[in-house]
Amino acid sequence: MTKGIFQRFAVAILILPAGGYLALFFGLPLMLAFLGGFGMFTRGDETGFTLEHYRALFGTQAYRDGLWFSTYLAIVPTVVSLAVSLPLAVALARTHPGQRLFNILYKVPLVVPGIVAAFVVMTMFDRGGLAARVLAPIGVDLPKLVRDQWAIGVIIATSWKAVPFMTLIIGGSLGAINRDILSAARTLGAGPLATFWRIQVPLALPGITAAFLLTFIGGMGAYAVPNLLGPVYPLPLSVHMYVNAFERNNWGLVSAMGTVLSLISIAVLLAYYRATRGMRTAYGGEAR
Amino acid sequence: MSVAFPDTARAALRQPFLTSDGRWISAGLGLAFIIVLGLPLLVTILWSLVDPQVGWFAPDIVPPSLALDHWSSALSNRSILSALGLSVGIGIAVTILTSVLALPTAYALAKLPFRMKRFVELFVLAPLIVPGIIVAVGIGAIFFRLDLVYTVPGVILVQTVGTLPLMIRILAATIEAIPNDLIAAARTLGAGPAAIARYILIPLAWPGFIAGGLLTFVSSFEEFEKTFIIGSPFVQTLPVILWTYLGGRGIIFPNAAVVTFILLVPMLIVFFLAGRVLRDDVLASGMGKL
Repeated sequence: MTKGIFQRFAVAILILPAGGYLALFFGLPLMLAFLGGFGMFTRGDETGFTLEHYRALFGTQAYRDGLWFSTYLAIVPTVVSLAVSLPLAVALARTHPGQRLFNILYKVPLVVPGIVAAFVVMTMFDRGGLAARVLAPIGVDLPKLVRDQWAIGVIIATSWKAVPFMTLIIGGSLGAINRDILSAARTLGAGPLATFWRIQVPLALPGITAAFLLTFIGGMGAYAVPNLLGPVYPLPLSVHMYVNAFERNNWGLVSAMGTVLSLISIAVLLAYYRATRGMRTAYGGEAR
Repeated sequence: MSVAFPDTARAALRQPFLTSDGRWISAGLGLAFIIVLGLPLLVTILWSLVDPQVGWFAPDIVPPSLALDHWSSALSNRSILSALGLSVGIGIAVTILTSVLALPTAYALAKLPFRMKRFVELFVLAPLIVPGIIVAVGIGAIFFRLDLVYTVPGVILVQTVGTLPLMIRILAATIEAIPNDLIAAARTLGAGPAAIARYILIPLAWPGFIAGGLLTFVSSFEEFEKTFIIGSPFVQTLPVILWTYLGGRGIIFPNAAVVTFILLVPMLIVFFLAGRVLRDDVLASGMGKL
């Protein structure tokens, strides 16, 4: 019994540094933000419990549109990146000349800051950018791609940065699949495409969904890239948060916005757990 | 990992995968990487070399004349050089702080059974799930009271919140692979916790430290949002400077291009050094399953 107590004590000591750190600098601010959304413990104007900030958030057209726009900026780049990453991961895993080089090159955007990606998109796709200059002589007039209504520029920059990240995770999941299963499928008459869709993709789904989830959250909270490349209206909630915090000093509203964005993230995470739990039972064991 | 197949079986297995599409894949990937990586690099190089007397305006596909003016003015600009130093310094500090904080927890998660383990795992992962801007704004409100806002220590502390989860996960995955027998043997031979950490855990978890450390350094070096919210305008890292060139009053492309390179060169050095020691599976282990 003393050993049990000792062990529990040891575990507590071991978890304390990182756990305590995160409790202090992550859990506490988040908790304060949650309470602040209801008007409690906010900086400056202590009002007591109120739903005023949520009323302001959901009652103002600009913020409602911002919420939709944040969700849009989370979903679209993630879907685009997934559509690129899945075939890319498969192609990179196949034997081909220069495989080693390509397997290094595709990861370069991982270390390129998002602002640099935004800068490159500006030089290429903005009005008078290189793409427009190259296409003008052959009579192609590019639509507005930067600060445009559909946030094409934001989608390009975000996807460019997200593809290697997704490819890395998906490639890891694909690589972890037992080769015997693939050969079994082939001997049983499945062609390469059927093997891919019916064996590889389902078995790699935990990795695919994890990549999807992390990219989704990154897109939803992004501040710099939508601010540089996105339209003037609507602004994503992340930009509204910054403006209200540091230019209008309206921390209650900021807290309400942060809480709503966090809740969406958590909802997506829970959906992920539900989905992967189903997968584990369906295919017996985890893919990784 | 590799299964011992008889050679004939292996040849049969390999055949369908090795249809003659290897060259097509290479050609396709090569073309894609030239467009997606090579072209932007070339354009950024050209922008950094634009002659300030002449400029680079609309119909011209290449600048009419090149000059090193923007480079020489950037390299003699004290604020850019000090930003480079500050970015590197913050990156190193964040990496050390993250490693020290992460190791004990990673060990507990990897090797010790305890109740609420799943909860600790989730809690440690949570900063990855909550968008960084929310963390930054929330911490900002606290740092105001602690006088940590607009300071370098404040920036180091807020960046570490974002880097801890990956480090813990990567270290835990590496430590999990260390045989329990080794630790047990060391214990029987009289090693205490410190000796076990020093002679067994740290040497054997080294690939995890390298992978996690490089990843931490990179994400600190390129981190913008949290640094901007907590540190700006007094803590000017390189991404913050780049932001002022792109977002502030009027866009200054040539300056932005030069700062881009000053920002990219250390990253690419770290990246290619890392390519030699880093295994993809170690990297992916940090994120493949949440």
